[in-house]
Amino acid sequence: MEHSSSQSQVAYMKKSLVDQGYLDEQFYQLEELQDEASPNFVEEVVTLFFSDSSRLVASIEQALEKSPQDFHRLDSIMHQLKDSTLSIGALRVKNECTRFREYCDEEDLQGCQGSFQKVKREHAILKQKLEAYFQLLRQIGPAGATRPGN
Amino acid sequence: MDPSRAAASTASSGRPRDGVGPPPDFPAGLRVLVVDDDPTCLKILDRMLRKCLYDVTTCTRAAAALAMLRERRGAFDVVLSDVYMPDMDGFKLLEHIGLEMDLPVIMMSADDGRDVVMKGVTHGACDYLIKPVRMEALRNIWQHVVRKRRNELKELEHSGSAEENDRQKRALEDGDNASSASEGNWKNVKRRKDGKEEEEVEEREDPSTLKKPRVVWSVDLHQQFVAAVNQLGVDKAVPKKILELMKVPRLTRENVASHLQKYRLYLRRLSVPQHEARLDTPYTGASEATFRSVGSFDGLDTQALAVSGQFPPQSLTTLHSGPRRVTTTGIGLPSIDQVGFFNSSAQMANASNIRPAMMQQMNNKQLNFLSGPSTNMESGQHGQSQQLVESYGNMGLRVGEGASGFFNLPSSQRTSTSFPGGTINVNLSNSLPMQMTQQGQQFSVCQQQNRIHISMPRQLQTREQLLNEILGEYDSRLSTPMGHQILSNEVSGHVSGRGRSNMNVRTSLREGYMNASSYGPLSHALYADFSNSGMNESTGSCYPLASGAGTTNFTSIGMLQEALPPVGNVETLGNSVSVKGANDFVPDYDLLSDVRQSKSQDWKSQNIDVSYQSAQQLGSKQSNIDFGSSRLAHEDSIAAIKDDKSRNACTVRKEIFSVRTEIEHEKGDCTAQRNGTILVENSLRVMAEGMSDLSYQEVLFDDNIIQNELMNVVGKKQQEGVGQVDPEFNFDGYSWDDIQV
Repeated sequence: MEHSSSQSQVAYMKKSLVDQGYLDEQFYQLEELQDEASPNFVEEVVTLFFSDSSRLVASIEQALEKSPQDFHRLDSIMHQLKDSTLSIGALRVKNECTRFREYCDEEDLQGCQGSFQKVKREHAILKQKLEAYFQLLRQIGPAGATRPGN
Repeated sequence: MDPSRAAASTASSGRPRDGVGPPPDFPAGLRVLVVDDDPTCLKILDRMLRKCLYDVTTCTRAAAALAMLRERRGAFDVVLSDVYMPDMDGFKLLEHIGLEMDLPVIMMSADDGRDVVMKGVTHGACDYLIKPVRMEALRNIWQHVVRKRRNELKELEHSGSAEENDRQKRALEDGDNASSASEGNWKNVKRRKDGKEEEEVEEREDPSTLKKPRVVWSVDLHQQFVAAVNQLGVDKAVPKKILELMKVPRLTRENVASHLQKYRLYLRRLSVPQHEARLDTPYTGASEATFRSVGSFDGLDTQALAVSGQFPPQSLTTLHSGPRRVTTTGIGLPSIDQVGFFNSSAQMANASNIRPAMMQQMNNKQLNFLSGPSTNMESGQHGQSQQLVESYGNMGLRVGEGASGFFNLPSSQRTSTSFPGGTINVNLSNSLPMQMTQQGQQFSVCQQQNRIHISMPRQLQTREQLLNEILGEYDSRLSTPMGHQILSNEVSGHVSGRGRSNMNVRTSLREGYMNASSYGPLSHALYADFSNSGMNESTGSCYPLASGAGTTNFTSIGMLQEALPPVGNVETLGNSVSVKGANDFVPDYDLLSDVRQSKSQDWKSQNIDVSYQSAQQLGSKQSNIDFGSSRLAHEDSIAAIKDDKSRNACTVRKEIFSVRTEIEHEKGDCTAQRNGTILVENSLRVMAEGMSDLSYQEVLFDDNIIQNELMNVVGKKQQEGVGQVDPEFNFDGYSWDDIQV
């Protein structure tokens, strides 16, 4: 009973994340990869993602503050960040990254900065949401945690 | 789960690549190397691939991935690489892999723009996956592996003989257990492989590097060949008829034709004026082969040589200029006519190939090259060179065919002088003294690395083998029977001197060598090899392989044997040496010439057996012993090597080399005689004093004399050397006695 409600809670949460565009199909893929052998795979990946992406975000921030701006470098870092977001399915963050890169191409500093703020924001939001998600999962316990497509 | 192994790339327990056949659960166990700078991606991919039951190794840096691929050739079946990476462009990595290893590479990227995908295709990627990569896409990557192998096999069938095919297949199989989609296919290959390539050491036939399957001219095969040729008349022999006479299945006309060409060159070399030719040529001849590779390496070799200071320019030139058969790059070990021949040719051809590979290796000072190039050497000679090169790579000394390599080993060692034989010769050829000195120096260098690849041309192979063995790493490249013989002879000579030291030379070259030059005058090869091998170890083992062709070589052989324990052949070499190649060889170097002609066959059988076996055994032990430099080279190398350990050794080596080279040239070049006598004396002296006596070379070669003397010397040295060598060579304390094939 609790289980199912928790499970459905989790499912619901996940669905809403996806619906809202925070996550995409890729996330489901990740969950499919989780199994008895690696019961916390998704969480591990997400954790890894955030630690890595936070680092990248920080370096972009730094690079933006420098002047003259090195758009090439900015683009390069953002490329890496984007790749990461792709792999876990962080849709919104990814989209913002894409936009950022477009501004970079145009060497539009303003645009870059604005876009970057968005990236940061989305990144933070996603982090929050996923943390909540995993917390819930942990509450449910291993049994309910790995139900993909719930 | 331990996903991303960033930069750690832990290889999962891969399926043993021993060509046991495709695993029944293929594609499970497919060995995948994933390269991606993003840890998140890497982790996910790793997980996905594991779910597909593949063996996954991850890497975040392209450079590390390349290093890993090089180190463990054949340890992976397919590579997955990200396009965009900070340290190296994915396409560049793709190119490197394609050039060196020829593994199927699959690119990945979020970018699915047409241009990028096109770029992937043009750079040779097997496939291009769009990120985020889905598991379904990964499930099917095995198809690329299978396809590639099938294509390669087909290629082989078209181009080479069955042997080659076998080889290739074998390589393929080894490379990819899971590759053969059809078990039957694999079985065939394996069967053939087993039958045909016993002699070969497991060559690292890297299908990637060497596309052309290489026919292994085993001693028997070569003997058959020579018999056929003699029956028809050397001048009148045509490949077609030879092929008919030989009645060897799966041998193609092309194989015979190329072998015949080499053989002819070898014979021609034998008839070159002894003394000069010998000195010069031996290495050139032998080294040719090796040098070739070395030559190719020119960049490397010369550099290496240059580094050594001693050789490079000289050797190279000498090699070239000398009438010595250095035809190849001058460096080739002249004596190893045949061997060098192979080497040279191959080398040249391959050298270029090797060059890049070697260069890398050399740069890395790894003899990996050997391993790598070894495969390249497939082309036979090439391989040799490679070996030499490789060995040198490590050693820098690729004693390669001629001891030239050795000599080049100027302390820099790096000379990766691919002189597989060839290089060494150079030194020698120029002037024995020079050579010797150089050798001596080189040896010192050699010692350092002890990796002198004495890629002795086939001939030397036997020696090489010994040497290789001694080196411990005989690649058994020397497998070529001819090489063996030569090697044995040479090796004997060299070996004695070299003992182990030379052996450092990775005999891996041997393979190349041996195969290539299996021609008679293995002695050259042997010497070279030995020198190499011995040289490396030089510590004591550097017995003057000068024993020359047969008789004298025994000492070397003895040494070699010591050094080449595994080689087993080495022992034989010793024996063979005497026998060397044609018995003629044994008596004097004069005989060498005679021997060459007639004995070449003998040699072959004798030495080859010995050497090859040794070589084979040596496997890559140090196959780097590029015996290429035909005996002289070896000697030099040996001497050099010895020097390293003990100066004396070098001297001996030099002599050996000189002797060798001579021997190589002519295999029987009378010079050997000269050398033999002198060598004997010298060798003794040399051994004791290190290479001070060039004459040693002469003496060394004098089979008779040398042998005895060498034996003595060698014995002593060996003992010394052996002890020393051990650490260097993988041989475990070779003692002549121990070197049992």
